[in-house]
Amino acid sequence: MSTEYTLSNIHNDFDGYNKLINFYDKYQNDDLETVDLSLNTWFDANLSAVLGGILDQLNKSNRIGFVGISPSIQKILQKNGFLIHFGFDRTNDTYHTTIKYLKLKPTDSRFFNNYVQTDLFNRAELPQMSEAVKKKISESILEMFVNAQIHSETEFIYTCGQFFPQRDEIIFTIVDTGIGFAKRIEINLNQIVSSTQAIKWAITEGHTTKQGTPGGIGLAILKDFIVQNNGKIQIISGDAMYQLENGTETYSEFNNYFNGTIINMIFKTNDTTLYCLAEEIDNSELF
Amino acid sequence: MEEIKVNIFNLVGNGDCTLPEDGDKIFDILKKTLNDDKKVIISFKNINSITSAFLNSAVGKLYGEFEESKIKESLKIEDMLIEDKIILKRVISGAKLYFEDPERMINSIKKILGEEDE
Repeated sequence: MSTEYTLSNIHNDFDGYNKLINFYDKYQNDDLETVDLSLNTWFDANLSAVLGGILDQLNKSNRIGFVGISPSIQKILQKNGFLIHFGFDRTNDTYHTTIKYLKLKPTDSRFFNNYVQTDLFNRAELPQMSEAVKKKISESILEMFVNAQIHSETEFIYTCGQFFPQRDEIIFTIVDTGIGFAKRIEINLNQIVSSTQAIKWAITEGHTTKQGTPGGIGLAILKDFIVQNNGKIQIISGDAMYQLENGTETYSEFNNYFNGTIINMIFKTNDTTLYCLAEEIDNSELF
Repeated sequence: MEEIKVNIFNLVGNGDCTLPEDGDKIFDILKKTLNDDKKVIISFKNINSITSAFLNSAVGKLYGEFEESKIKESLKIEDMLIEDKIILKRVISGAKLYFEDPERMINSIKKILGEEDE
Protein backbone atom coordinates (compact mmCIF):
# COMPACT_ATOMS: atom_id res chain seq x y z
CA MET A 1 0.00 0.00 0.00
CA SER A 2 1.40 3.34 -0.99
CA THR A 3 0.87 6.81 0.35
CA GLU A 4 0.86 10.04 -1.59
CA TYR A 5 2.85 13.15 -0.86
CA THR A 6 2.86 16.43 -2.72
CA LEU A 7 5.53 19.10 -2.76
CA SER A 8 3.90 22.23 -4.08
CA ASN A 9 5.29 25.66 -4.86
CA ILE A 10 8.90 25.15 -3.74
CA HIS A 11 11.01 28.30 -3.96
CA ASN A 12 14.43 29.33 -2.63
CA ASP A 13 12.98 30.65 0.61
CA PHE A 14 12.16 29.60 4.17
CA ASP A 15 8.77 28.21 3.14
CA GLY A 16 10.33 26.12 0.35
CA TYR A 17 13.02 24.64 2.59
CA ASN A 18 10.46 24.06 5.32
CA LYS A 19 8.30 21.99 2.97
CA LEU A 20 11.31 19.92 1.87
CA ILE A 21 12.45 19.34 5.45
CA ASN A 22 8.91 18.38 6.54
CA PHE A 23 8.82 15.81 3.73
CA TYR A 24 12.18 14.44 4.89
CA ASP A 25 11.03 14.33 8.50
CA LYS A 26 7.79 12.52 7.72
CA TYR A 27 9.48 9.46 6.21
CA GLN A 28 12.99 9.43 7.63
CA ASN A 29 12.15 6.91 10.36
CA ASP A 30 9.84 4.77 8.25
CA ASP A 31 10.73 1.38 6.86
CA LEU A 32 9.57 0.11 3.50
CA GLU A 33 7.03 2.83 3.01
CA THR A 34 6.05 3.26 -0.63
CA VAL A 35 5.52 6.91 -1.39
CA ASP A 36 4.10 8.38 -4.59
CA LEU A 37 5.61 11.84 -4.79
CA SER A 38 4.08 14.66 -6.79
CA LEU A 39 5.61 18.03 -7.63
CA ASN A 40 3.31 20.79 -8.70
CA THR A 41 2.87 24.56 -9.19
CA TRP A 42 6.57 25.50 -8.98
CA PHE A 43 9.92 23.94 -8.13
CA ASP A 44 13.09 26.07 -8.27
CA ALA A 45 15.42 23.90 -10.37
CA ASN A 46 18.54 24.43 -8.25
CA LEU A 47 16.68 22.84 -5.32
CA SER A 48 17.06 19.53 -7.16
CA ALA A 49 20.26 19.31 -5.10
CA VAL A 50 18.22 19.38 -1.88
CA LEU A 51 15.54 16.98 -3.12
CA GLY A 52 18.22 14.62 -4.46
CA GLY A 53 19.91 14.47 -1.06
CA ILE A 54 16.61 13.93 0.73
CA LEU A 55 15.41 11.20 -1.64
CA ASP A 56 18.69 9.31 -1.31
CA GLN A 57 18.35 9.35 2.47
CA LEU A 58 14.70 8.30 2.43
CA ASN A 59 15.19 5.64 -0.23
CA LYS A 60 17.64 3.79 2.02
CA SER A 61 14.60 2.33 3.77
CA ASN A 62 11.63 3.39 1.64
CA ARG A 63 10.56 3.32 -1.97
CA ILE A 64 9.80 6.79 -3.20
CA GLY A 65 8.85 7.35 -6.81
CA PHE A 66 7.49 10.22 -8.80
CA VAL A 67 3.90 9.80 -9.90
CA GLY A 68 2.78 13.26 -10.82
CA ILE A 69 5.02 16.09 -11.89
CA SER A 70 3.47 19.11 -13.54
CA PRO A 71 4.72 19.37 -17.17
CA SER A 72 6.73 22.59 -16.73
CA ILE A 73 8.55 21.22 -13.65
CA GLN A 74 9.19 17.86 -15.34
CA LYS A 75 10.64 19.65 -18.36
CA ILE A 76 13.22 21.62 -16.41
CA LEU A 77 14.15 18.73 -14.09
CA GLN A 78 14.76 16.57 -17.16
CA LYS A 79 16.83 19.32 -18.74
CA ASN A 80 19.07 19.68 -15.71
CA GLY A 81 19.53 15.93 -15.49
CA PHE A 82 17.88 15.47 -12.09
CA LEU A 83 15.10 13.17 -13.23
CA ILE A 84 17.44 10.86 -15.16
CA HIS A 85 18.51 9.58 -11.72
CA PHE A 86 14.93 8.38 -11.31
CA GLY A 87 14.41 6.67 -14.67
CA PHE A 88 13.32 9.62 -16.82
CA ASP A 89 14.90 10.55 -20.16
CA ARG A 90 17.17 13.57 -20.47
CA THR A 91 15.85 16.33 -22.71
CA ASN A 92 17.77 19.01 -24.52
CA ASP A 93 18.15 22.40 -22.86
CA THR A 94 17.32 24.70 -25.79
CA TYR A 95 17.89 27.93 -23.87
CA HIS A 96 20.92 26.60 -22.01
CA THR A 97 19.83 28.12 -18.73
CA THR A 98 20.16 24.98 -16.64
CA ILE A 99 23.20 24.08 -14.56
CA LYS A 100 23.25 20.33 -14.37
CA TYR A 101 22.48 18.33 -11.27
CA LEU A 102 25.50 16.44 -9.97
CA LYS A 103 25.69 13.73 -7.35
CA LEU A 104 29.32 13.36 -6.38
CA LYS A 105 31.40 11.50 -3.86
CA PRO A 106 33.40 13.86 -1.63
CA THR A 107 36.52 12.37 -3.24
CA ASP A 108 35.32 13.66 -6.63
CA SER A 109 36.60 17.14 -5.82
CA ARG A 110 39.04 17.14 -8.75
CA PHE A 111 36.25 16.30 -11.14
CA PHE A 112 34.13 19.04 -9.56
CA ASN A 113 36.94 21.59 -9.87
CA ASN A 114 37.35 20.73 -13.51
CA TYR A 115 33.60 20.93 -14.03
CA VAL A 116 33.40 24.42 -12.45
CA GLN A 117 36.45 25.72 -14.33
CA THR A 118 35.59 24.30 -17.73
CA ASP A 119 31.91 23.33 -18.11
CA LEU A 120 30.27 25.91 -15.90
CA PHE A 121 32.21 29.03 -16.77
CA ASN A 122 33.11 28.35 -20.38
CA ARG A 123 29.60 28.37 -21.74
CA ALA A 124 28.76 30.86 -24.46
CA GLU A 125 25.27 31.35 -23.03
CA LEU A 126 26.62 32.50 -19.68
CA PRO A 127 25.40 35.98 -18.76
CA GLN A 128 27.97 38.70 -19.44
CA MET A 129 30.26 39.12 -16.47
CA SER A 130 33.71 40.40 -15.77
CA GLU A 131 36.62 38.00 -15.36
CA ALA A 132 37.00 39.21 -11.76
CA VAL A 133 33.42 38.26 -10.90
CA LYS A 134 33.72 34.94 -12.71
CA LYS A 135 36.82 34.12 -10.66
CA LYS A 136 35.15 35.13 -7.38
CA ILE A 137 32.02 33.09 -8.12
CA SER A 138 33.95 29.98 -9.12
CA GLU A 139 36.21 30.21 -6.06
CA SER A 140 33.18 30.66 -3.79
CA ILE A 141 31.60 27.51 -5.21
CA LEU A 142 34.84 25.53 -4.91
CA GLU A 143 35.44 26.77 -1.36
CA MET A 144 31.97 25.57 -0.27
CA PHE A 145 32.46 22.18 -1.95
CA VAL A 146 35.76 21.73 -0.13
CA ASN A 147 34.05 22.68 3.15
CA ALA A 148 31.47 19.93 2.64
CA GLN A 149 34.24 17.50 1.71
CA ILE A 150 36.30 18.26 4.82
CA HIS A 151 33.69 18.69 7.51
CA SER A 152 30.45 16.89 6.74
CA GLU A 153 31.22 13.13 6.66
CA THR A 154 28.63 12.91 3.89
CA GLU A 155 28.34 9.96 1.54
CA PHE A 156 27.55 12.22 -1.44
CA ILE A 157 27.60 15.91 -2.23
CA TYR A 158 24.74 17.17 -4.40
CA THR A 159 25.04 20.29 -6.53
CA CYS A 160 22.75 22.06 -8.94
CA GLY A 161 22.19 25.57 -10.21
CA GLN A 162 20.30 27.72 -12.62
CA PHE A 163 21.00 30.78 -14.78
CA PHE A 164 18.51 33.59 -14.83
CA PRO A 165 19.67 35.78 -17.75
CA GLN A 166 16.77 38.22 -17.35
CA ARG A 167 17.56 38.75 -13.67
CA ASP A 168 21.35 38.70 -14.18
CA GLU A 169 21.66 35.91 -11.62
CA ILE A 170 23.31 32.57 -11.15
CA ILE A 171 22.04 30.37 -8.36
CA PHE A 172 24.24 27.53 -7.18
CA THR A 173 23.36 25.06 -4.43
CA ILE A 174 25.62 22.61 -2.62
CA VAL A 175 24.06 20.04 -0.33
CA ASP A 176 25.51 17.39 1.92
CA THR A 177 23.64 14.85 4.01
CA GLY A 178 26.35 14.60 6.64
CA ILE A 179 26.41 15.53 10.27
CA GLY A 180 25.71 19.28 10.09
CA PHE A 181 27.46 22.18 11.83
CA ALA A 182 26.22 21.54 15.39
CA LYS A 183 27.25 17.88 15.47
CA ARG A 184 30.67 18.74 14.02
CA ILE A 185 31.22 21.21 16.87
CA GLU A 186 30.05 18.62 19.39
CA ILE A 187 32.40 15.93 18.03
CA ASN A 188 35.50 18.09 17.51
CA LEU A 189 35.19 20.64 20.29
CA ASN A 190 32.95 18.81 22.76
CA GLN A 191 30.44 21.64 23.00
CA ILE A 192 26.67 21.23 22.71
CA VAL A 193 25.18 24.05 20.67
CA SER A 194 21.90 24.65 18.87
CA SER A 195 21.84 24.68 15.07
CA THR A 196 21.46 28.47 15.09
CA GLN A 197 24.39 28.90 17.47
CA ALA A 198 26.45 26.52 15.33
CA ILE A 199 25.83 28.53 12.15
CA LYS A 200 26.54 31.82 13.97
CA TRP A 201 29.84 30.42 15.19
CA ALA A 202 30.83 28.83 11.88
CA ILE A 203 30.32 31.96 9.76
CA THR A 204 32.60 34.04 11.99
CA GLU A 205 36.06 34.52 10.50
CA GLY A 206 38.74 32.27 11.97
CA HIS A 207 36.36 29.79 13.58
CA THR A 208 37.17 26.22 12.62
CA THR A 209 36.66 22.73 14.01
CA LYS A 210 39.79 21.48 12.24
CA GLN A 211 42.48 20.20 14.57
CA GLY A 212 46.02 21.39 13.95
CA THR A 213 45.13 23.34 10.80
CA PRO A 214 43.82 26.88 10.92
CA GLY A 215 40.73 27.68 8.90
CA GLY A 216 37.35 29.35 9.03
CA ILE A 217 38.06 31.85 6.29
CA GLY A 218 35.96 30.41 3.45
CA LEU A 219 32.51 31.37 4.69
CA ALA A 220 33.78 34.80 5.81
CA ILE A 221 35.22 35.48 2.35
CA LEU A 222 31.98 34.29 0.73
CA LYS A 223 29.96 36.62 2.99
CA ASP A 224 32.12 39.62 2.08
CA PHE A 225 31.86 38.84 -1.61
CA ILE A 226 28.09 38.36 -1.48
CA VAL A 227 27.67 41.75 0.22
CA GLN A 228 29.80 43.50 -2.44
CA ASN A 229 28.14 41.54 -5.22
CA ASN A 230 24.65 42.35 -3.89
CA GLY A 231 23.84 38.66 -3.93
CA LYS A 232 22.37 36.37 -1.31
CA ILE A 233 23.43 33.37 0.79
CA GLN A 234 21.22 30.90 2.56
CA ILE A 235 22.67 28.29 4.88
CA ILE A 236 20.49 25.55 6.31
CA SER A 237 21.97 23.15 8.83
CA GLY A 238 20.00 21.04 11.31
CA ASP A 239 16.86 22.99 12.15
CA ALA A 240 18.22 26.48 11.47
CA MET A 241 18.42 28.77 8.49
CA TYR A 242 20.72 31.75 8.02
CA GLN A 243 20.23 34.29 5.29
CA LEU A 244 22.37 37.21 4.19
CA GLU A 245 20.68 39.62 1.81
CA ASN A 246 21.24 43.34 1.25
CA GLY A 247 23.83 43.27 4.02
CA THR A 248 21.25 42.04 6.55
CA GLU A 249 21.66 38.73 8.37
CA THR A 250 18.63 36.83 9.63
CA TYR A 251 18.17 33.52 11.42
CA SER A 252 15.06 31.33 11.37
CA GLU A 253 14.22 27.94 12.81
CA PHE A 254 12.31 25.05 11.30
CA ASN A 255 10.04 22.71 13.26
CA ASN A 256 11.94 19.72 11.94
CA TYR A 257 15.60 18.79 11.50
CA PHE A 258 17.62 18.29 8.32
CA ASN A 259 20.60 15.97 8.77
CA GLY A 260 23.10 17.83 6.69
CA THR A 261 23.84 21.26 5.30
CA ILE A 262 22.49 23.26 2.38
CA ILE A 263 24.49 26.18 1.01
CA ASN A 264 22.55 28.24 -1.50
CA MET A 265 24.40 31.07 -3.22
CA ILE A 266 22.76 33.66 -5.42
CA PHE A 267 25.26 35.71 -7.43
CA LYS A 268 24.60 38.82 -9.48
CA THR A 269 26.30 38.52 -12.86
CA ASN A 270 25.98 42.21 -13.81
CA ASP A 271 28.42 43.17 -11.04
CA THR A 272 31.02 45.65 -12.30
CA THR A 273 33.03 45.79 -9.06
CA LEU A 274 36.77 45.49 -9.57
CA TYR A 275 37.81 43.07 -6.88
CA CYS A 276 41.51 43.84 -7.07
CA LEU A 277 41.73 47.55 -6.33
CA ALA A 278 43.50 47.10 -3.03
CA GLU A 279 47.01 48.48 -2.74
CA GLU A 280 49.95 46.19 -3.27
CA ILE A 281 50.77 44.09 -0.22
CA ASP A 282 54.47 43.64 0.29
CA ASN A 283 56.20 40.70 1.90
CA SER A 284 56.79 42.36 5.25
CA GLU A 285 53.06 43.02 5.67
CA LEU A 286 52.05 39.58 4.45
CA PHE A 287 53.88 37.32 6.86
CA MET B 1 71.32 31.80 3.17
CA GLU B 2 70.56 29.59 0.17
CA GLU B 3 67.41 30.54 -1.76
CA ILE B 4 65.19 28.14 -3.67
CA LYS B 5 62.11 28.66 -5.78
CA VAL B 6 58.95 26.63 -5.26
CA ASN B 7 56.78 26.61 -8.36
CA ILE B 8 53.22 25.98 -7.19
CA PHE B 9 51.85 25.30 -10.69
CA ASN B 10 54.33 22.51 -11.23
CA LEU B 11 53.83 20.96 -7.80
CA VAL B 12 50.03 21.01 -7.98
CA GLY B 13 50.11 19.97 -11.63
CA ASN B 14 47.81 22.73 -12.89
CA GLY B 15 46.63 26.24 -12.08
CA ASP B 16 44.01 25.12 -9.63
CA CYS B 17 44.95 25.64 -5.99
CA THR B 18 41.67 24.72 -4.33
CA LEU B 19 42.16 21.39 -2.60
CA PRO B 20 43.63 21.18 0.91
CA GLU B 21 45.46 17.97 0.03
CA ASP B 22 47.42 19.89 -2.61
CA GLY B 23 48.14 22.51 0.05
CA ASP B 24 49.53 19.75 2.28
CA LYS B 25 52.09 18.84 -0.41
CA ILE B 26 53.28 22.45 -0.51
CA PHE B 27 53.38 22.58 3.29
CA ASP B 28 55.68 19.54 3.45
CA ILE B 29 58.11 21.19 1.03
CA LEU B 30 58.05 24.55 2.80
CA LYS B 31 58.51 22.91 6.18
CA LYS B 32 61.53 20.99 4.97
CA THR B 33 63.17 24.03 3.40
CA LEU B 34 62.60 26.13 6.51
CA ASN B 35 64.04 23.35 8.65
CA ASP B 36 67.06 23.37 6.33
CA ASP B 37 67.39 27.14 6.92
CA LYS B 38 66.83 27.97 3.28
CA LYS B 39 64.98 30.95 1.91
CA VAL B 40 62.02 30.18 -0.33
CA ILE B 41 60.44 32.12 -3.17
CA ILE B 42 56.93 30.75 -3.63
CA SER B 43 55.88 31.37 -7.21
CA PHE B 44 52.17 31.52 -7.99
CA LYS B 45 52.77 32.13 -11.68
CA ASN B 46 49.90 30.81 -13.87
CA ILE B 47 47.71 29.99 -10.87
CA ASN B 48 44.13 30.91 -11.72
CA SER B 49 42.12 29.68 -8.77
CA ILE B 50 42.82 29.65 -5.04
CA THR B 51 40.81 28.77 -1.95
CA SER B 52 41.50 29.63 1.66
CA ALA B 53 41.39 25.88 2.39
CA PHE B 54 44.43 25.38 0.13
CA LEU B 55 46.32 28.32 1.63
CA ASN B 56 45.59 27.26 5.19
CA SER B 57 47.05 23.84 4.50
CA ALA B 58 50.03 25.15 2.52
CA VAL B 59 51.02 28.25 4.50
CA GLY B 60 48.75 28.69 7.54
CA LYS B 61 49.99 25.48 9.19
CA LEU B 62 53.57 26.79 9.13
CA TYR B 63 52.69 29.10 12.03
CA GLY B 64 52.18 26.01 14.17
CA GLU B 65 55.72 24.85 13.37
CA PHE B 66 57.87 27.98 13.15
CA GLU B 67 58.26 31.38 14.78
CA GLU B 68 56.63 34.23 12.90
CA SER B 69 60.02 35.94 12.51
CA LYS B 70 61.52 32.83 10.92
CA ILE B 71 58.65 32.62 8.41
CA LYS B 72 58.87 36.32 7.63
CA GLU B 73 62.58 36.24 6.90
CA SER B 74 62.43 32.97 4.93
CA LEU B 75 59.39 33.20 2.66
CA LYS B 76 58.74 35.46 -0.27
CA ILE B 77 55.72 35.43 -2.59
CA GLU B 78 56.07 35.98 -6.31
CA ASP B 79 53.57 36.42 -9.17
CA MET B 80 50.50 36.23 -7.00
CA LEU B 81 47.40 38.16 -8.05
CA ILE B 82 46.53 40.96 -5.66
CA GLU B 83 43.06 39.48 -4.93
CA ASP B 84 44.73 36.18 -4.02
CA LYS B 85 47.21 38.01 -1.80
CA ILE B 86 44.27 39.52 0.08
CA ILE B 87 43.01 35.99 0.80
CA LEU B 88 46.52 34.89 1.82
CA LYS B 89 46.79 37.84 4.20
CA ARG B 90 43.50 36.84 5.87
CA VAL B 91 44.68 33.22 6.08
CA ILE B 92 47.96 34.26 7.72
CA SER B 93 46.26 36.61 10.21
CA GLY B 94 43.86 33.80 11.12
CA ALA B 95 46.66 31.26 11.44
CA LYS B 96 48.60 33.49 13.86
CA LEU B 97 45.53 33.84 16.07
CA TYR B 98 44.74 30.12 15.83
CA PHE B 99 48.16 29.00 17.06
CA GLU B 100 48.58 31.86 19.54
CA ASP B 101 45.72 30.64 21.74
CA PRO B 102 44.81 26.93 21.61
CA GLU B 103 41.71 27.58 23.72
CA ARG B 104 40.41 30.25 21.37
CA MET B 105 37.93 27.99 19.53
CA ILE B 106 36.38 26.60 22.71
CA ASN B 107 36.20 30.07 24.26
CA SER B 108 34.55 31.52 21.16
CA ILE B 109 31.82 28.88 21.35
CA LYS B 110 31.33 29.53 25.06
CA LYS B 111 31.00 33.21 24.26
CA ILE B 112 28.20 32.51 21.76
CA LEU B 113 26.50 30.21 24.30
CA GLY B 114 26.84 32.94 26.95
CA GLU B 115 25.37 35.60 24.68
CA GLU B 116 22.32 33.41 24.06
CA ASP B 117 21.82 32.84 27.79
CA GLU B 118 21.79 36.56 28.61
